[in-house]
Amino acid sequence: MSDFDRLDRLRGYFHTRETPIARPDCLDEHTVAALADGTLDAAARGRALAHVATCALCRRAVASVAEALAAGPITHEIEIVEGRRRRRGPVLRVAVPLAAAATVLLLLWSPAKDPFGRHRGPPPPPPATIPIPRSPVGAVAAVNDLRWSHVTGADRYRVTVFDATGGVVFATEATDTVALFPDSIALVPGASYLWKVDARTSFDRWAASELAAFSIAGSRRR
Amino acid sequence: MDPWVAELRRGRTDAAWDLFLDQYRRLIFKAIRHYAQDYDDVMDVFAHVCESLRDAELKRLRCYFDRPSHSARLSTWLVTVVRHLTVDWFRHRDGRRRLSTVAAELPPLRRRIFEFLFINKRSHVEAYELLKSSAGLDLTFGQFLAEVSATYRAVASGRRGRILRELGGPAPQVEDVEDEQVGASERRDELEEALSCLSAEERVAVELFVVEEMPADAVAKVVGWPNAKAVYNHVYRALAVMRARLSTLDGVGRPTLGRI
Repeated sequence: MSDFDRLDRLRGYFHTRETPIARPDCLDEHTVAALADGTLDAAARGRALAHVATCALCRRAVASVAEALAAGPITHEIEIVEGRRRRRGPVLRVAVPLAAAATVLLLLWSPAKDPFGRHRGPPPPPPATIPIPRSPVGAVAAVNDLRWSHVTGADRYRVTVFDATGGVVFATEATDTVALFPDSIALVPGASYLWKVDARTSFDRWAASELAAFSIAGSRRR
Repeated sequence: MDPWVAELRRGRTDAAWDLFLDQYRRLIFKAIRHYAQDYDDVMDVFAHVCESLRDAELKRLRCYFDRPSHSARLSTWLVTVVRHLTVDWFRHRDGRRRLSTVAAELPPLRRRIFEFLFINKRSHVEAYELLKSSAGLDLTFGQFLAEVSATYRAVASGRRGRILRELGGPAPQVEDVEDEQVGASERRDELEEALSCLSAEERVAVELFVVEEMPADAVAKVVGWPNAKAVYNHVYRALAVMRARLSTLDGVGRPTLGRI
């Protein structure tokens, strides 16, 4: 019996448990959000986990919110909202002293004094654990296909294109690092689109790319 | 401070609401669309969310800001609130009448299973016992779970699959025939006993990774472990502990949960 079979069996056993019922000590929305987002401090997280360990209702809520927070359109919107909020915040008060400190450090550091004589070539490329959207990115004349980087060990890729409102325009799966974009889908010139690709790295496990934005310049495709 | 928060602090709730909605409307819509696809449903849920957030002079929003500390960002808190309100709205709206239209397309046995699980909110074990006693059905628990799985597949394949999953809980997996000999309640008790060997973190990690099928990096975030690798290590170590515990419980070597 493989590990996956064992996990499926275990999953089956879990699902014979009783239907969960809300209890007075169930987690509030603030705690569920912080737990799913990983922003709870250690002490509060310990208390929350002690409850989640025995409450299927809260476990479902945490899993559901974590899934929602990882969804492309929601992640993208949160970045926009948080970015907008941060811009209003006292970023400069922190950034300016940091930049000054970095400048001083650069001036003080002398390459001639490097006692180790280390190799200063470019750093080794990071392991390809997530796919990187290659094209289309930015303003393009037309979209005939979608291309992305290879991920080591991935046997399948899932591509999704969103419109500006977060609606899915196109979704497909591929085994290679390219997917043809069908003629039947009309992209609006001037409109913005986002796309991402998920790479299947093992059983039921997907590594998602960052969202890439593109728009169609000029008139219709092709 | 965001302008809408400043207005809220000044007690100008109408102005605060307008500014809040202007800033977060898109996020609210996207969170709703994560669970609901039908346009009319999305608009109705949006109205419900707005009504709930506006209620009692923005009580919900004021509660968020009145907390002594904020471990959750407002945006993630809002996604959580919208999720809860969306599920509540569907649960309230999709009473017997609407869900029964989904069930109408299913074969008779699966229709009964659907009614027990999604409409009457029965557990799998209760549904099995009720089917056996009320309908006089001669079905082993394994065969029943196969039917339950097929029912979930049928309803989840439609446009409303995600919200139905929220309403009905996770789908079961089909088990080996030999397991049918073991009572479901007994199996559940054994599993609870084995889980009690684990720490709260390990137990939550096992349940999120195995039952909820969350990605390992998301599980790491929840339980506060450094990365996905730590989750794999902890979960597989925890499963080994459970396996050893279940072997002890099995005693005479009955081939049940000890094989996980």
